[in-house]
Amino acid sequence: MRLATLGVRNITRARFRVAMTVLGVALALVAFILIRTVLSSWTAAADFAAKDRIVSRHKVTFIMPLPYKYLDEVRAIDGVKEAAMSSWFGGKDPNHPNEMFGTMAVQPESILKIYDELEVSPEQKQAWFENRRGALIGDMLAKKMGWKVGDKVTLQGTIYPGDWQFEISGIYRTLRRSMDRTTFFFHYNYLNEWAKKNQPRSADEVGWIAARVSPGRRAADVAKEIDNHFDSLDVQTLSQDERSFNTSFLGMISAILSALDIVSVVILLIMMLILGNTIAMGVRERTQEYGVLRAIGFLPKHLAIFVMGEALTVGFLGGVAGLVLGYPLVEQGIGRFLEENLPGFFPFFRVPPATAVTALFLAMGLGLVAAAIPAYQASRLNVVNALRKVG
Amino acid sequence: MFIPLNYTLRSLWVRKSTTLATALGIGLVVFVLASSLMLASGIERTVGSSGKPDHAIVIRKGSENELSSSIESTAVGIILSAPGVKKSGSTPIGAGEGVVVLSLSKLGLDGKFSNVQARGVTPVSQQIRSDLHIVEGRPITPGTDEAMIGVGLVGKFAGMELGQSFELKKNRPLKVVGIFDTGGSGIDSEIWLDLETLRSSFGRGGTVSSVVVQLESRAAFDGFEAAVEHDKQLGLEAQRESAYYEKQSEGTAMFIKAMGIVVAFFFSLGAMIGAMITMYAAVSQRSKEIGTLRALGFSRVAILTAFVVESFFLAIAGGLLGALASLAMGLVKLSMMNFNTWQEVTFSFDPNPQTLALSVIVGGLMGFFGGFFPAIRAARLSPIQAMRG
Repeated sequence: MRLATLGVRNITRARFRVAMTVLGVALALVAFILIRTVLSSWTAAADFAAKDRIVSRHKVTFIMPLPYKYLDEVRAIDGVKEAAMSSWFGGKDPNHPNEMFGTMAVQPESILKIYDELEVSPEQKQAWFENRRGALIGDMLAKKMGWKVGDKVTLQGTIYPGDWQFEISGIYRTLRRSMDRTTFFFHYNYLNEWAKKNQPRSADEVGWIAARVSPGRRAADVAKEIDNHFDSLDVQTLSQDERSFNTSFLGMISAILSALDIVSVVILLIMMLILGNTIAMGVRERTQEYGVLRAIGFLPKHLAIFVMGEALTVGFLGGVAGLVLGYPLVEQGIGRFLEENLPGFFPFFRVPPATAVTALFLAMGLGLVAAAIPAYQASRLNVVNALRKVG
Repeated sequence: MFIPLNYTLRSLWVRKSTTLATALGIGLVVFVLASSLMLASGIERTVGSSGKPDHAIVIRKGSENELSSSIESTAVGIILSAPGVKKSGSTPIGAGEGVVVLSLSKLGLDGKFSNVQARGVTPVSQQIRSDLHIVEGRPITPGTDEAMIGVGLVGKFAGMELGQSFELKKNRPLKVVGIFDTGGSGIDSEIWLDLETLRSSFGRGGTVSSVVVQLESRAAFDGFEAAVEHDKQLGLEAQRESAYYEKQSEGTAMFIKAMGIVVAFFFSLGAMIGAMITMYAAVSQRSKEIGTLRALGFSRVAILTAFVVESFFLAIAGGLLGALASLAMGLVKLSMMNFNTWQEVTFSFDPNPQTLALSVIVGGLMGFFGGFFPAIRAARLSPIQAMRG
């Protein structure tokens, strides 16, 4: 008879215990999915990076700016199709001092050419280009702060002190995941004119320069050319393709990344302990029964199959329950919260499909591993002793 | 009358492998919880201990930290002459310092850069940090292109060894002439160089990032703060140095703590279920035993207590195991970015008694709650039916 079915049916005997085990496995998987999603959301910045973009910044320290004239020099370098500048403004909304979002001074036309994944309606785009105090903001930021097109907004400058008046000209959406949805872009001219008047030492400076390479050119090669071009000057550059630029951030938090990696393995261990324990208990309780089965002619391998089949099924049920619980919890609950509140760390907090599939197979696979010892014990039973054993 | 403890302990011993598996599960939870709390407290201790309550730090009003602050050199004199600043002879003990972060390539991680904080100092700076002592080499000579580095940096970044050098500007190498140690504060992850070298390398003449002063006493702070912040034109903000550094560790420590607690929460639910499964099985296997005990005259309460205690012991054993293992983490040093300052700091786990006690208690609670419902089932067994099996 369907040996496997018998194994599967065994799980209906101690329903409560199996239900608890499934729940235990499911919870462990939720934690596993959560942690793996944290990890993948960090590395996503690298995965979604545009292959043809280069970011150039001050070689020695990212807090020092580059001279404005470097922008035109970068544009003239062979292999660069176009280039745009950005400067970190560091503005805060005095009404919401704890809300962090990126504020960048840019040149509107060129930045939209470089970051073509920013989608703005033509009317809003035009309005932004023409309004010196206009700002283009991400849809997520607009939602979080309750800002609408046409709103007047005052930000407090931290690097460029004072109250800054802006008007929201447009709201962008992103077509690819390489850009976050909470940035506040405004005119560099607005900032620079102020700087010339009030803080001359920070006038005509840019934070970093982003460039796109011409078709057919490798970003890494062009990056090297840019650095070579400025090598003999006082201020040198460090140019990286977008992927390396994004992963350089990961280098700084590599300790957290490896700690989380270890933790996710520990979860699997706990899961295995719970599963193995349940299976072992079942085997212990059914010793006598296994003796009977052996006595009527079942072979040791059949007993092992019963045990393994049971473990596989419990693991599978736990895996499915974990996905059913974990997917909505991570995607809708935690993910939405993190994307809205910590967009700098978690621009896209979504469960990668590969993680979901891995989790399911891990639950089943670890079920098998956990059942190995009980299955071996069951198959080694001495028929006479097993029959003799009292309850 | 209660069932002797001996019975409980021996019951656990009878089913060694199940007991061990359950206790291990709980132990792992306690280990993770204890480790993450120890790390968070290590960060607070490391960054927090960089500041002293009888020091004050002045930055530009509105700046988050030294890195984004800039103060005109002309204001430094005004700050140093404010009331409350301790004097050595007639010179005030205080220094304007410049802070930048340098992108240095991290050894062992190919092509990865990380940010290291560099501090441009004056000879008084070292006098203010009384904990700082040179462990190798010598202090920097003012007016030269020399640098000294904290012990936390040695061997972690390119150029960070005694005798090696690194560049702030092309063809202007800075030679590492000394290594200093402050006994585990965040300053151990800094590079110190002459303020003038820093300013000329980055074209920052005329400004400093912050002014650090030694106060006459802790109580002198209020007077100092009032004097410094009185002139609104200067736009300055004075903070007690200890409070300033505490704030700098807040975000990162909170982040680690929150992550540890979320992870431990899911873990502990899992482990609690593990304990529950074990105890339910124990109850059903031993129903004859329980019936016998009831027939002998032990009350329902006694049975309930015995099983809860059994589960509690099981969990405490696991908890102690986990706590012991987490103690070993005290030997591990981690290098990580402080999100508040963008600077990489070397932390260690801080195995303090409170954290360990808390984690073991959490483990014990998992056993208590995990064992409670099975114990109720045991207590409700009817003696006659139970003995019949």
